[in-house]
Amino acid sequence: MLSLYRCLLYLYPAAYRYEYGEEMAGVFRAALSDIQSETWGKGLLPQAVFLLREFAGLFHGALAERLRAIATSHSWLSIPSRRFTMHSEFRFPKATPVLMAVILAGVILTIEKATAIQDSLPYSNPQLPPIHAEHFTFFPAMAVIFLSAYTVAVIGWAVLFALRRSGVHRLSEMSAAPPQN
Amino acid sequence: MDAPPLTEPVLLILLSLVGQPRHGYSILKDVEEMSDGRVTLSTGTLYGALRRLLEGGWIERFEEEDSSRGRQAYRLTPAGRRNLQLEAGRLKHLARIANLRVARKGI
Repeated sequence: MLSLYRCLLYLYPAAYRYEYGEEMAGVFRAALSDIQSETWGKGLLPQAVFLLREFAGLFHGALAERLRAIATSHSWLSIPSRRFTMHSEFRFPKATPVLMAVILAGVILTIEKATAIQDSLPYSNPQLPPIHAEHFTFFPAMAVIFLSAYTVAVIGWAVLFALRRSGVHRLSEMSAAPPQN
Repeated sequence: MDAPPLTEPVLLILLSLVGQPRHGYSILKDVEEMSDGRVTLSTGTLYGALRRLLEGGWIERFEEEDSSRGRQAYRLTPAGRRNLQLEAGRLKHLARIANLRVARKGI
């Protein structure tokens, strides 16, 4: 369980982990030992509650520290030189929301224009039912599709960024590297 | 750091450091004891609060001399003690108003 806790500490920014990681693991070890001895023979529920609280606190703390690191990062305030590359430093591509807004505006205008053209055309087939309902459903549907796609892309980017920042990718390098004497 | 109203866990952490310096686990247990088990901090919450208090200059961190493992301990700074007194005064004032209002309404 301590190993899992130590792994989860990698969710924190490196500086925070360096400063408090060992201390936190020590306190967790002591608290775990206490709860195990206090709840001996009382089932697994108290230990499960303890672990749930610990891991929830860890996730919450890591998220808060990550957000704080982002908020205090200078790269957030300045225009980064290599926006679309994923480096260990935080570089959120500021162009992304602008680009999203421009594309969305373009889509909206195109749909509006297409609808206007469609409306201006003579409706020559009386056998088919009128398609006016499309005016009310097409635009919201397209907007939802585009917004969903962008949301998924942003979440995916955030997950990749979090994994990169957590240093998980370095674990394999650490185990593969020969010991240095 | 200004002295905004403190959350209960932070207030309890500061109160646990009033009498003596403590290390992380000792703070955890003392907070639980002071609140009769109502407030149980996780290590993540505890160290998040300690980091903020350290940054604000309310507490300071030092290495325990009598510890063979170089364990870190925390103690209140004079500024932290002063802010804690202000907070205690604020709570006292609030409690007095609450008591007056409740008594007046006859609840």
